[in-house]
Amino acid sequence: MASSSSLSTPVSIDSPSIAKSSGSYMPAFLTTAVSPFTSVYNRISQWRTELDLPNPGTVENLQKEVKNTHLTNFMFDGARADLTKGLSINPAFQVTHSFQLASQTSSPSYNFGAVFANENLFMQGGVDHDGNVNARFNQGWSQTNVSKIQAQFSQTVGHNMIQLEQDYQGQDYSANLKAVNPSPLDLTGIYIGNYLQSVTKNLSLGVETLYQRPTLDVSELSTSYLLKYVGREKDWIATAQIQPLGILQTTYWQKLSEKLEVAAELQVVAAPTRRDAVATLGARYDLRMATFRAQLDSTGKVSALLEQRFAPAFAFLVSGEIDHFKNSAKVGVGVMIESSTLTPEEMGMQQPYAGPA
Amino acid sequence: MPSEETKERIIKAIDLGRTVLHYGWIPFIIYVGYTRSNPQPSLIKLISPLA
Repeated sequence: MASSSSLSTPVSIDSPSIAKSSGSYMPAFLTTAVSPFTSVYNRISQWRTELDLPNPGTVENLQKEVKNTHLTNFMFDGARADLTKGLSINPAFQVTHSFQLASQTSSPSYNFGAVFANENLFMQGGVDHDGNVNARFNQGWSQTNVSKIQAQFSQTVGHNMIQLEQDYQGQDYSANLKAVNPSPLDLTGIYIGNYLQSVTKNLSLGVETLYQRPTLDVSELSTSYLLKYVGREKDWIATAQIQPLGILQTTYWQKLSEKLEVAAELQVVAAPTRRDAVATLGARYDLRMATFRAQLDSTGKVSALLEQRFAPAFAFLVSGEIDHFKNSAKVGVGVMIESSTLTPEEMGMQQPYAGPA
Repeated sequence: MPSEETKERIIKAIDLGRTVLHYGWIPFIIYVGYTRSNPQPSLIKLISPLA
């Protein structure tokens, strides 16, 4: 949702930046003993610095531009209202009340959310009318090193989830470790590790390994390979991801002008039991007071979403989707209202401190 | 391997932590946000969607 993403900007813990390692401090005899190794290490790191490769971005954000252009993640049906109230700018603190009804796929729901964020801490919580709570906690230790915790608590057995994550962005690489529902007793759970390395200024390659251990005697390891190619002007990005069992996912994103972005995605499943492919084409127009997304895919779905801002604090959303093969349609309308308890004078006073120091 | 007793204690501790977070996470965020906000908002504005 637009409101929550705009809020997380002052934290900027996700933004890639360059880490510079300084020399180590050791006693003199140790320094002489390990000096061949440190000199080799220093030469390699100096050589790496001279290559001046950019940080490739995180694996999680590999397809971020495409997902932001396509409306799959933004699509809704029925009616919805989001009332966001900003209570403080620095540190950022806001509460959200979301109402949703008349959806074909889900029952009417109410959701209350609260977000608190400052330079290196981000806390978010949401609770729905059934009492299910979701929680996010991010702690940035430095610009490049972030710990994240995500959790879901529910009355229903089996719907509880916790995910621990450590994110590190080096000078020309990104690494990330995740543990989903790790059990301290028998180490069951899902463990994911990924690594993305810049090979040239444009090309970066990566691997992602998933280790699943649902019970003590069952364990499964699967590795997928990633590729990302960024155009010279950073105006186009192509990515590919090969997963085991013959799943290939490729995307292409291009910024055609300041206002227009287009994206294409092709997903191919070539498993022995199932052969399938879905292609999706989408475009996003950013106009002065509106955002318009349109999308067409090979399963016969045509969809569009208009987000029209009538005032800075009031937005109106219309979405529609027609499934030509199934002969069905979905329509959605929504409002997003942002209010603030701060007076304009207070906001003006706060602005100079709003950005990260 | 830890003994059965320790195992049970760990499981109980995890369950307790989960219950505390389930009911306490949102109040905790609101408390932190309310006390650290600048300027401090009034409580009614915090909870009510309309105020």
